[in-house]
Amino acid sequence: MPGTAQLGQSELRDAHESARLIPYLREVWARRGYIWYVSLNELRTRQITNVLGNLWHLLNPLLTIGVYYIIFGLLLKVTRGTENFLLFLTVGLFVFQFTQKATIDGARSIVSNTSLLKGVKFPRAILPITATVTEFVASLTTYLMMFVILLIGGESPRWTWLLFPLVIILQTVFNLGTSMVAARMTTHFRDTTQILPFVFRLLLYGSGVIYSVDAYVEDNPGAELLFTLNPMYCLITMARWTIFGSNVDAPIDPAVIVSGIVWSVGSAVLGFLWFRAAEERYARD
Amino acid sequence: MPVTELSAPTGAPEIAPAPISVAIDSVDVKYRVFEERYFSMRDLVSGGFKMRRSTDIHAVQNLSLDITTGEAVGIVGSNGSGKSSLLRAIAGLQSIQSGSIKVRGQAQLLGVNAALKPLLSGYRNIMLGGLAMGLDREEIEAEMDNIVEFSGLGNAMNRPMNTYSSGMAARLAFSIATIRVPDILLIDEALAVGDKDFREKSLQRISDIRAQAGTVIMVTHSLGEIRASCTRAVWLEKGVLRADGAVDDVLNSYEE
Repeated sequence: MPGTAQLGQSELRDAHESARLIPYLREVWARRGYIWYVSLNELRTRQITNVLGNLWHLLNPLLTIGVYYIIFGLLLKVTRGTENFLLFLTVGLFVFQFTQKATIDGARSIVSNTSLLKGVKFPRAILPITATVTEFVASLTTYLMMFVILLIGGESPRWTWLLFPLVIILQTVFNLGTSMVAARMTTHFRDTTQILPFVFRLLLYGSGVIYSVDAYVEDNPGAELLFTLNPMYCLITMARWTIFGSNVDAPIDPAVIVSGIVWSVGSAVLGFLWFRAAEERYARD
Repeated sequence: MPVTELSAPTGAPEIAPAPISVAIDSVDVKYRVFEERYFSMRDLVSGGFKMRRSTDIHAVQNLSLDITTGEAVGIVGSNGSGKSSLLRAIAGLQSIQSGSIKVRGQAQLLGVNAALKPLLSGYRNIMLGGLAMGLDREEIEAEMDNIVEFSGLGNAMNRPMNTYSSGMAARLAFSIATIRVPDILLIDEALAVGDKDFREKSLQRISDIRAQAGTVIMVTHSLGEIRASCTRAVWLEKGVLRADGAVDDVLNSYEE
């Protein structure tokens, strides 16, 4: 680690001065090795006690898709406006769950690590960032699974698939923010972790994950505006556009792209600033 | 409460021959404990705002202390006397309500065991603990053999940490925490575990750290440990400094 040992003998410094923004970010960057190592090992240990072990990283998304497909595709038949409901659902659900998991993990990241916070000094933002990176790495197997399902389901690769990783990177930026906001909220109000699943359930139905919203927003600018202001809808719509591209008759609405980018950058920047503003209280307990 | 000045007077503003490495100036540490710790929905439903019932704990009261580089200070005091709070405040892990704490270089609490994960092997935990302390991978890999040897865990390094006895886990944590010699090493009861051999080894390591012009501050109930490795003792009682000076003098009056 650069600096610490060398600046040692120089002068007395306040043990409680809070690092300013740039040094703080530099500290976070210096711990990137820790973030990666924890993320990769977290995934390694997550399924360690299960019989099927890490196979669950593949099985879990498959079973999730299976359950939703049976209920919404076969039983409830909410498939109008979608050419291939299974593929439509797969893309929407996997993208949605990435944000859901990163945020819920982030919410627990501070309160479940109190002994670490009491014992080791490091920028606290490391914890929600690690939660997001862990879910990012976990999502890679899920997205790999998604492309397998797409190819088996009869989609042929198209150039816009290359844009899909860009959407996921944008989404990761968005998730960093939601994860940090959720982490701080949980320190004020423990029940956040109980409430979040319901917030996401609501978002799931309100973001066009399991049905196409096209039929609802036609001739209804109010509803269309609401959807455009919903970051999950924007991210999912962008992801679907890169996958199905011209299959959907209408080209992607530029407002959706702008809203998605504004939400993501805004979430990361404001989420980080809001999280850091309470840096001192995380070690207190 | 009057401070019994036994030998070395503290808080003297004159510049000491050895540079001061920790300057604690009229520090107060207070925290609030909630009896019903976290405000939750249940409190709303049951109608009782239990979160309001809280107690302020004045863990450290108006404490001033200067510690010079190369000293090994043992802090004694009964349970709840504010020893650990003071240590964590020096490490910057506990916020202080008034006064100031200045440190020269990096103060590091021997608290790395909190970063370790029970399901990972000893090797992976060395990496994890080192990274948490802010070392980079190459540094840790370069030190890996030394750490394994010092911990004396041998083949157990390949096993997950949840198969370790508490003594083995403590040995691993100590070995990781002392990879890098910090400018100021803070130890909170960390040596009270481990077998006799390892205890001797860790006492040796602590005097090595001190020899490298570092400062050691330790909190322990083992007066023997303080006698064996400290050059100065501080006695805290209910957050107030009771005595400060040569080890034997302070410990003798503490034992009375």
